[in-house]
Amino acid sequence: MAEIKHHAYLFDATRCIDCRACMVACSVENNIPMDKTRIWVAGIGIKGEYPELERGTMVYHCMHCDHPDCMSACPVGAYTKAEDGPVTYNPDVCIGCRYCMNACPFGVPHFDYDKGIIDGAFIDKCTFCPQRIYNGEEPACVQTCPTDALEYGDREELIAKAHARIAAHPDRYIDHVYGEKENGGTSYLIISHIPFSELGLPTLPETPVNEVSEKVMEMTIPFALSWGAVLSGVAAGVHMYNKNKEEKEGEAKPEKKAEVEK
Amino acid sequence: MTKTISRRDFLKLGAASAGAVALGQMLPPQVAQAARAAGLLNANGDGYIHSMCEMCVWRCGLTAKVVDGRVVKLDGNPEHAHSRGNLCPRGQSGLMNTYDPDRVLTPLVRVGKRGEGKFRQASWDEALDIVASNMQKIKDTYGAEAMVFSSTHNLSQPLFENLLYAFGSPNYGTQRSLCFNAMIVSNLMTYGMEEPGRIYDENLKYILLTGRNLLEAISTSETHDLIMAIDRGAKVVYLDPRYTKTASKATEWLPIKPGMDLAFHLALLNIIISEKLYDKTFVSRNTVGFDELKTEVARYTAEWAAPLTGIPAETITRIAHELADAAPHVLVHNGWRTSNFTNSFHTQRAISILNALLGNWDVTMADAGGEESGTLGAPPQPPYPRVSALRLDGVPWKYPVVPLKIGVFQELRDNIVSGDPYQAHGWFISRQNPIMSIPDRSKTIKAFGKMDFIVTVDIIMNDTAWFSDVVLPEASYLERYDPLLPVGDKVFLRQPVIEPQGEAKSALWIYKQLGERLGLGDYFQYADEEDYLRQQLAPLGVSLEEVKAKGYAEAPETPHEGEPAELSWNTPSGKVELFSDTLSRVGFPGVPVWEEPPQPSENQFYLLTGKVAQATQFGTQNNQLLHKYSDEPRIWMNAQTAAKLGLATDDWVEVSSEVGTIHTKLLATQAIRPDCVYMTPGYGHLSKGLKTAFGVGASDSAIHVTYTDPISGSQALSQTFVTVKKA
Repeated sequence: MAEIKHHAYLFDATRCIDCRACMVACSVENNIPMDKTRIWVAGIGIKGEYPELERGTMVYHCMHCDHPDCMSACPVGAYTKAEDGPVTYNPDVCIGCRYCMNACPFGVPHFDYDKGIIDGAFIDKCTFCPQRIYNGEEPACVQTCPTDALEYGDREELIAKAHARIAAHPDRYIDHVYGEKENGGTSYLIISHIPFSELGLPTLPETPVNEVSEKVMEMTIPFALSWGAVLSGVAAGVHMYNKNKEEKEGEAKPEKKAEVEK
Repeated sequence: MTKTISRRDFLKLGAASAGAVALGQMLPPQVAQAARAAGLLNANGDGYIHSMCEMCVWRCGLTAKVVDGRVVKLDGNPEHAHSRGNLCPRGQSGLMNTYDPDRVLTPLVRVGKRGEGKFRQASWDEALDIVASNMQKIKDTYGAEAMVFSSTHNLSQPLFENLLYAFGSPNYGTQRSLCFNAMIVSNLMTYGMEEPGRIYDENLKYILLTGRNLLEAISTSETHDLIMAIDRGAKVVYLDPRYTKTASKATEWLPIKPGMDLAFHLALLNIIISEKLYDKTFVSRNTVGFDELKTEVARYTAEWAAPLTGIPAETITRIAHELADAAPHVLVHNGWRTSNFTNSFHTQRAISILNALLGNWDVTMADAGGEESGTLGAPPQPPYPRVSALRLDGVPWKYPVVPLKIGVFQELRDNIVSGDPYQAHGWFISRQNPIMSIPDRSKTIKAFGKMDFIVTVDIIMNDTAWFSDVVLPEASYLERYDPLLPVGDKVFLRQPVIEPQGEAKSALWIYKQLGERLGLGDYFQYADEEDYLRQQLAPLGVSLEEVKAKGYAEAPETPHEGEPAELSWNTPSGKVELFSDTLSRVGFPGVPVWEEPPQPSENQFYLLTGKVAQATQFGTQNNQLLHKYSDEPRIWMNAQTAAKLGLATDDWVEVSSEVGTIHTKLLATQAIRPDCVYMTPGYGHLSKGLKTAFGVGASDSAIHVTYTDPISGSQALSQTFVTVKKA
């Protein structure tokens, strides 16, 4: 395998047969408890009315976004985006606030109510199998896929491959590589014959969501300071006004003051 | 589907159960020693070991990751033609089979009533003595034929056969008549081989699948081949009353009426012959019986087939034309059992013949070679004793063209119950679950009741073991050696990747021990498993250590010296037999003919069964990893039909046939013909020793009626009709 600058996956919905080998492989490789999973099947199920039917599935796990929302939402820096692709989670730092779960547009991070307090690992998600990819192996889900619906490689090369496949069969695919631009780009790329929204994928702008949110967040202090200044100014103004008013009223009502003094 | 799943981590769970037994006996870690000697494991016991999967009969090559003497991950071996580096979900879950908390890890001897599940632990010596003495007693009292032997096709089968043939019993049950007898007998009659190989090359243009749900009933490399063929733009036409995952990827799905696929294929033969679309050169040079075939199929027009199949005549005609246009780059797939009726032998024959007419030999179909390799050695052994007793399964006296090695298992069961032509008294079962796999479960339990003695060899307390007198714990496929498997120009090795847990032992060891106790030691002339393999490898001049390290040995096939002047087949005529004299001489039609299949009455449904990707037959439902990712087993019914009957998804329903009644949950779906219901087979286990599978789903075999095709001996499951009502 050529050197991989940016690790990525390519999923082709036309090839997926919903056999779930990837799910079992992930469960074994990562020793996932029996009631948990890091890979899900989504899709349209069986659509239509007999005998005019359509069926399609998509498997997905962490999209390993180039601009991860989980990471920007995390108040303690438990998430890291590696330069070569993987988004990883550090359970030692996590405080279990679950902001990442709300932030992720794909609903990937899952909260582990059993393990949290005891083991300190509150969140579970795909790790990109670092124990495999940095040893020259494919991630467990990709390695086992009997139909090559899941492929692994360098992101640029996979994007080129995805476009080439669409170009070779324009009648078969929707002319779009999901994840090439969505949310500023993800490391899990999807091509499909079924509209992406029907597969269950959110329609996302090309500008990463977190770029907007981070810009907002960056403005917090200047905004707080300037809003504080405005408020201080208003407060000062009100104070001055009242003071002036009191002075004027004092001049007009001397008796009252005298009464109080009594 | 988390109801019966332990919340504990499955690896820890496996460790706990294994450890409990391992304490009692400290065996030297032979596997680790051998693997270290072969350079596979380091000093810590960590490393990668190549072996072969046994989660189904496809036998993918695998590479096991071993850490600290425990297998932690399986991957497909890229060197193996059956896996090409991939594994299906069953293959991936394989280590959960080995670390199943319900493993039987010591020999067990029954102490309660049969089926009560009360056993005591026994030593191997005691258990083997009990088994051998009971077998000998039956032989001495009633003759060797009173012992029945049955086992599902597997790599240690030659030694199993040694045990039964040396013992002197003709009664041999395999799983094949429960599955694909019609296909095998059809190919034997047509091509002189059980199953020609299929070639999915880049030129393959057209594939016709008759119920072969290749994307759910996964054969790893062939499933990959099909998806890649679709990817390249090959057309796939798929016949199935259900909209399966294969249907969803096919170019064209035809929800044909069950049992009527024969009419469809006869009409294809008719069009291709009457319009002279066949490969004239191939037919004249390499086939016999074209005229007889032509005369017979003349009456099977597309217009005739249309009302039977529910497929318009124009569609049938178009498909015949498309096949002829794409020939020879076409594949009419035999599948396993087509629609599985008593007429399915003729369907299979029509399919085998269609391929010949389309001239696809050596293009998309070829001689695949067998699993036996002439280049491998074997321990010496004396000839088997002569057996004069009739076989209880009617081969060949009732089923003259069914091979002895294949047999008619359901007939064997029926004649155990009837005691005709004689009464069987003992049953030796290895790696098989006949209580679940033969139709009409209550009848199989009745057959068990006729037995003086039943012994089962398995790794878990399957339902058959549950009803046995002695259970012998076999080492799992990750814990043992098996005889070598030739695949193409290599022979592959199954070797232990971890030490056997508890007191589990390999089949090679168990059969030899029994053989010696029965005075049949000459049929098992090997010191141990490694010695057996060394004797197999001797002619290749390769050391076992080398094979252990690589996982395989090169075994060059006999090279083809240029193009042979004449193609030939192992049939009586040496040609492809469109008309079979063999069939004709024993009173069966020599060419495929129409046989009207029975149809359900108005309030009945066809009961369909079919595989899913997360299970193999009746043996994997207790695997917690597969259980985790399986769909809940519910009986499928067409949504409109269900609505008419006032039934909705998740309603409990009562499903009845003439032999039984089950209660199960309903799935109302668009993905099935209105006149059919479908059940995933293998659920509804009786053994409480299967803690994950027990109580899940209902058993199809409890309601399947036994029908047998008189020619091939194949059971005809889809001929069972059921009524469904709210429970």
